[in-house]
Amino acid sequence: MKLKFLSLVFLLLSILPVVAVPTAGEVAYAKGDYAVAVEQWEEQGRRDGLTAPLLSALGNAEWKLGRKGRAVLCWERALLLDPRDTVAIAGLRHAQTAGGIERPVPSWSENYSAFLRADTWLIIAGISFWGMTLCAALPKFSRKNTSPWYQRGLVTFATVLALSIPGLWGAHTYAQRAVVRRADVALRLTPTSQGEPVSGIGEGDVVRSERGFNGHTRVQTAEGKTGWVRAGEVEAIWGGGLPANLDQKAAP
Amino acid sequence: MKNAGFILLTLLALLSVRADDSVSWEITPAVTGPGQPFRLQVRIESDVILGPADRVGKEIKPPRGMALRFSGQIFRSGTTEATLNFSGVSPDAEGAYVIPSFNIRFPAKMIRVPEITLNVSGTTGFRKDGQARAELELPDRTFYVGERIPGAILLRGSEQEFVSGSFGLECEAEGFSFQLMSDRAQPLDNGQGLVTAFELTPIRTGSSELSLNGIMLIQVGVTSAFSTPSRDRPFTFRRRINVEHVPEAGRPANWNGAIGKFLTDTVQLSNLSPEVGEPIRLRAILAGEGNLERIIPPEIIGGENWDVIPATERRRRAEDQRIFAYTLVPRLPGKLLTPEIRLATFDPETRSFNQVVFAPQEVIVTGTAPAKVDLVKIDPGAGANGATTKALAGLAPPKPNLRTALSSPVALIQPLAASKSFWATNVALFTLLSLSLGVVLVMGYLSAHPEILIRHHARRSCRRAARQAKQAAQAQDPAAFARAIVEGLRVGSSALLQAEAQALTQRDILRVLPDAPLDLLETLFQAAEGDKFAPRPTSALLTEPACALDLLARLEAKL
Repeated sequence: MKLKFLSLVFLLLSILPVVAVPTAGEVAYAKGDYAVAVEQWEEQGRRDGLTAPLLSALGNAEWKLGRKGRAVLCWERALLLDPRDTVAIAGLRHAQTAGGIERPVPSWSENYSAFLRADTWLIIAGISFWGMTLCAALPKFSRKNTSPWYQRGLVTFATVLALSIPGLWGAHTYAQRAVVRRADVALRLTPTSQGEPVSGIGEGDVVRSERGFNGHTRVQTAEGKTGWVRAGEVEAIWGGGLPANLDQKAAP
Repeated sequence: MKNAGFILLTLLALLSVRADDSVSWEITPAVTGPGQPFRLQVRIESDVILGPADRVGKEIKPPRGMALRFSGQIFRSGTTEATLNFSGVSPDAEGAYVIPSFNIRFPAKMIRVPEITLNVSGTTGFRKDGQARAELELPDRTFYVGERIPGAILLRGSEQEFVSGSFGLECEAEGFSFQLMSDRAQPLDNGQGLVTAFELTPIRTGSSELSLNGIMLIQVGVTSAFSTPSRDRPFTFRRRINVEHVPEAGRPANWNGAIGKFLTDTVQLSNLSPEVGEPIRLRAILAGEGNLERIIPPEIIGGENWDVIPATERRRRAEDQRIFAYTLVPRLPGKLLTPEIRLATFDPETRSFNQVVFAPQEVIVTGTAPAKVDLVKIDPGAGANGATTKALAGLAPPKPNLRTALSSPVALIQPLAASKSFWATNVALFTLLSLSLGVVLVMGYLSAHPEILIRHHARRSCRRAARQAKQAAQAQDPAAFARAIVEGLRVGSSALLQAEAQALTQRDILRVLPDAPLDLLETLFQAAEGDKFAPRPTSALLTEPACALDLLARLEAKL
């Protein structure tokens, strides 16, 4: 009994948020020195790893400095780590309403997947798949009559798997988003440097990226316009840490 | 003596001066138009009686594109003067054309005419026919709805006809708005005519005909205080014009209807060092040729540092400028940059969109920030009572050190789905499980159908017996040969008859192989088991071993 009580207390403590002492970045941010706050938080991210609160705070500081692309990218990545991060949600809403940022309207599956992290959906789907498989396979191994528990487990796991499929699909489509990192990017009709500009997209706009070709990426804007942009003009929200430094040349 | 010599030398000097021939020339008009006829007159004074010139023009080589012909000469007998007239047509291109030096042969002497320069200019009002005429200046291209098209009617005069005025200008065109730039016609730069400037603005797409009619007043000949001979001459222009909308392909989102060629003039600030909350006025002046008055003022976003309030604007028509005015209110102290003003324009000649950008200006804001900076953007479209229609938004206070055990820090935001080890583990486990399940299912099936294994074992026994029989036949051992054949037949038949192998006789074998020769079976059984009872000669078995082996092969085929 005592062991169960201690386990419950430990679980509650692990879930509850832990607020540490204000760091130098927080102090600088409070003073309005956003450049120093960015430097401090980037260093903290490289040293201790990235979390959703750190990325969303970094997005706030970048936004204050007027670097829309980096700010939106930080907020989007914070939402990947924690889909319910309030700072990132507020930042993106502010960028859309006051900053003129265009962001694709989430589909129903993306809204559904925002309930949990993409990795959580995959883990749930994996567990339910294996549970369903084992519930179907174990009676074959035992060569006995199927127990009612196997049937119940099979139905339960199959239901969970079916419920996780829209979440997986939403996470998959959400992962194809990218953020425009350059100002005044031309959306071109063809993947060439001389392609006819179809429309323009601004720094910080979120687009859906599709395939790549000839150093260009095919994207779809929030308005539904489709065209090609140079691969270096957009940065995918998945697969990175801190926003890439576009002024620094890539290593050969 | 000395004086006489001086007088003689003076006379000789005077004689030598008189010996120079004087040649002058005049071109009428002095500056000709391209392709215009002109008159060249060459006057010669000599110290001898000249008489009529001979073969004039033989040596003249006018420049390329110019026609020049000797038209006649004037001379009086007994005089030292001569006048020669030439008529010509100037080249079609503008420029200075040099008629090379040439010789004129008189009976008394030959006189050399120096180089003559003819200036051809398109700005002259003279024409071939010498009549005043009207010309329409209007770009010859596709126009766009809302574009400002500058045009002009040039009334060019001539030497014979002087244009003194015009009246009654009318424009007939559907789908256009027509506006004269001034009430009266203005004189041309060269003073030989008038110009009437106007503006056209297409208001719908399609092809339509533009018609311009008017009358110009012409004075003919020499005017005097008592007589001014004049006449009216009407003029009419008709031109078909195509009008389109500004193309949607490549049209920037911030295009506000600007068509033409524009450039940024200046950006003016009323105060470069305001205090926090003190409004300053930002004036961006746009210059160029185009529909300046039709441009919708671009919207600017103040961001976190500025509140932007639209202000009234004015335009100075005389200088072709447009002023966009804004009122900015700084919200924070420090060195701030005013918002960038960006305007998309469409150039109708190159059919391309351009961006005109007024660069941000540096402003040093003094004072102190309010205790709590309200990061909510003011909605310019809000009503006067302050009621807003849009949902307000702002940045939430960051909490970068907020940690939970469920949100562990990561170095790279990489999805689990991109992990190769994750998928490799799952695939390996699934393969292992599938194989195990397959084995279990096969074993279960075989346990439910034992005849499959019995027949399988029987086939293997038949093949083994056949091999042993062949070895016995090669070793010339009839007894071993018979035992191997009988053993194979018994095991194989027992699988089909579900009986004990050792209990089967040759009659039982016949139930399985009905067409087997009974004699051969009996011989085989007796040879195989005869030693238990009474031995019999078995050497005949090896004479035809193939028949016995064939029995085993047929039995194996049935299994």
